[in-house]
Amino acid sequence: MTGTTMTRPRRGGKNPTVGKGRGVPRLLTRVAVFAVIAAVPPLLFDDYWVFMSAQVLAFAVATLGLDILYGRTGQMSLAHASFMGVGAYTTYVMATNGYGPAMQLAAVIGVALIAALVVSVPTLRLSGMRLALVTLAFGELLAWAIRNTTDLTGGTQGASVDPFLFGRLDSSEPLHAYLIALVPAAIATAFAVHLGRTQLGRRMLAVRDSELAAESVGVAVARTKVTAFLISAVYAGVAGWLYAGITGFIAPPDFDLFASVYLFVAVVIGGAGTVLGAWLGASYVVLMPEVFTLAGQPNLYPIVGGALLAIVALVVPDGIVGLGRNVWRRIRGVRGDEEESK
Amino acid sequence: MSTASGAPHVRTEGLTVRYGAFQALRDVTVSLPAGAISGLIGPNGAGKTTLLNAISGFTPIAEGSVHIGHRNITALGTRRRALAGVVRGFQTVRLMERESVLTNVLVGTERLPQPNALAQFLALPSQWRARNRDMAAATEVLDLLGLARQAHRRVDELPFASRRLVEVARVLVSSPSVILLDEPAAGLDQEGRQELAAVLTRVHENHPSTMVVVEHDVDLVKSLCSYVIALDSGAFLRDGTPAEVFGDRQVQLAYFGRAASADA
Amino acid sequence: MGDLGQILLGGVTTGSLYALFLLGVLIVFQVSKSMNFAYGQVGMIAAFSAWFFYSEQGLPVPVALMIGVLLAVIVNSAIDFAAIRRIPAGRPGLDLVVTLGIFLLITAVMQQLIDANAHTFVSLGADTRTEVAGVVVSMSDGIVIGLTVVTVLAAYLLLNRTSLGTSLRASAEDAGIAQAAGVNVRALRTATWAVAGLIAAVVAILVASRLSVDAFYMTPFLIKAFIAGMIGGLDRFWLPLVVAVALGVYESLAVYLLGASAGTPAVFLLIIVVLALVPKRFVNERNEVRA
Repeated sequence: MTGTTMTRPRRGGKNPTVGKGRGVPRLLTRVAVFAVIAAVPPLLFDDYWVFMSAQVLAFAVATLGLDILYGRTGQMSLAHASFMGVGAYTTYVMATNGYGPAMQLAAVIGVALIAALVVSVPTLRLSGMRLALVTLAFGELLAWAIRNTTDLTGGTQGASVDPFLFGRLDSSEPLHAYLIALVPAAIATAFAVHLGRTQLGRRMLAVRDSELAAESVGVAVARTKVTAFLISAVYAGVAGWLYAGITGFIAPPDFDLFASVYLFVAVVIGGAGTVLGAWLGASYVVLMPEVFTLAGQPNLYPIVGGALLAIVALVVPDGIVGLGRNVWRRIRGVRGDEEESK
Repeated sequence: MSTASGAPHVRTEGLTVRYGAFQALRDVTVSLPAGAISGLIGPNGAGKTTLLNAISGFTPIAEGSVHIGHRNITALGTRRRALAGVVRGFQTVRLMERESVLTNVLVGTERLPQPNALAQFLALPSQWRARNRDMAAATEVLDLLGLARQAHRRVDELPFASRRLVEVARVLVSSPSVILLDEPAAGLDQEGRQELAAVLTRVHENHPSTMVVVEHDVDLVKSLCSYVIALDSGAFLRDGTPAEVFGDRQVQLAYFGRAASADA
Repeated sequence: MGDLGQILLGGVTTGSLYALFLLGVLIVFQVSKSMNFAYGQVGMIAAFSAWFFYSEQGLPVPVALMIGVLLAVIVNSAIDFAAIRRIPAGRPGLDLVVTLGIFLLITAVMQQLIDANAHTFVSLGADTRTEVAGVVVSMSDGIVIGLTVVTVLAAYLLLNRTSLGTSLRASAEDAGIAQAAGVNVRALRTATWAVAGLIAAVVAILVASRLSVDAFYMTPFLIKAFIAGMIGGLDRFWLPLVVAVALGVYESLAVYLLGASAGTPAVFLLIIVVLALVPKRFVNERNEVRA
């Protein structure tokens, strides 16, 4: 900052660097990159990996939701997989009663919202640590509910869910499942990106970084936390719906405390607070167990996951995305200095 | 000093604030003229920050009341006071360190009428109108403070002086009618202080408001403020024009005579 | 009334275990302002490895127990030394994230080293019973309640009546000032973690002797102790401990009145109701330092 920039008279027009001038080409580039990457699995992969890719899409919806809650709002939930479970089991119950995917989805969103309200409204006016603990209890509650309603939910043995049928698409076909999952995943991503451009998104960041500063400009801290929790629960519910439809089988271990911790690992490793990080995290959480299984060491996955979470959180708190960004900035920073010295 | 702008005058009556047994403010009755920049001075432990906290709602008040214009805001919480037009900066800069300057400033638009959360999330037309309005406000204030070129830089990459300005920009972006700044020049060098004074004067000309600045630097107070209030050990000491207050024997005694031993 | 007495005794015993376990959480939180999510798993290490050493390796039970306890103390100190100390400033909540990773790591490693099954543990007096006024009391019940009372009282006296306690409280209040006054804050903190490790080991062994041992059995226990701490307040001493005992009694009563599976939803309902009804300033921890 120099004296010249400070005393410079006000400009008449909008400053191009502040305005939204560069938004449109950037948006188009991003959509194009997304489309190209999305086209890879159906064109290049065999059925099994297309099936895994479809699961990545489902889990991306979940990690995007957790990222909104943890990465942007700074609130810790240890029941995110349980909310996926709420979605998955709601789907199952609706499906056994003859409802199609659209009605299932509507019910999933409704149930997820109600469950999230019950957990978040009493706790979120309090400090963040308490939310983490109450979500733990919620996870236990869900496990208990499934255990004790074998007739309705299939109990500890799990349950087979009918595939989604949209016209000629049938989610028991990997390629169809992938195409079906692509739509909600893309919508969820678009909303998550858009959220960063809204005041709602900025409120969340302010709550994460300094509740005092947030209050000082008029942000309703508790309401912002509840909103973030509701959004994240709906994302998790939709992810559970997709997961149930894609895999066709759900069981309590898919949604227990460990599953929630893995989602957490995913978001932290990918890079908390970024949409790209959530996607990287989703890929990690689905593909890494496969990699270890292929390597003949499936038991190593939880060990590596735990160690990675602790190490990444300590050493590179911004995850892979943060790491990449630092490298990129260093490269660009050098170039920028050269330009300025000319 | 003009009151035509509609900026309200700020008044406290018999304000007492306690931290346990310690009385941080004792029966303080002050009146800050509408539409002026007032300086709040006093040695360390005089209760300057506490007074700011009490006016902005960050400290519970034991006795007394706070008024903005004709409105008694004593019962309002921090957030409601902000919405009523009282916005403050902090002594230690509180920013979202990993976010851009622009994002940090835009947070300050919370006071402007924002569409509800669902409308924002679903990108309804009201969200786009609000966004354009907020961007215009942020652009203007960034220009005014000379931060336009850094708008997309991350805050933690900026030098300290710029980060202070970012916080000031966050306060100013919604054009609040009462602006409370807690040692905005702390940690700045001489040049930075003068620049800051110039910026604040310019801001005040463009957006009339009742501004209160806690400050130690006598020269800065003299050049910036048209009115000064001196506190000492939690009690009101003197008010008036800078010349009157700094010429007062009691103020000189409190400020220079035992300033070194007054760290409470 | 014999039935109800039996229920109450069971509740008080379980509650005492929650309280003793919570004591470890409290001292760590108060001295280093951190939460250790892996705390239950630290206890699990003690019990599970003790089982492994006496049952699979044929060591005498007391030796195996000693090794188990020692391992827990070492691991808990190591968590502070290797991780908690290194958390960068300005990242609140990272302690929970880091120890969540350690939680996962310990669980997976123990499963890998030993196995994923549940095993019966040495009874440690759970089989020795007498009848007092129509209520069957086992030696284990006596040990649990007695040990909890003694340990809690000792901790209280240590914290409030000794110079060591003063140093501890000083480093909790303001590490910088304590350091300047000649207190080795870091060493003191790690020592606190070591003591907490010891407590976790003792509780986990007692719990294992009453139920069974595997890699997961401490997690529900940890959740309940945390809940008691959350309701009572982690920066207080007596209230959270009393809440822990009350939670044990409440849980036993719910099971007694509503059936074996009613414990979990009853506890969840309790938290939601308590948090919804209790005024904010009462249950909240100290706020962010004011401007």
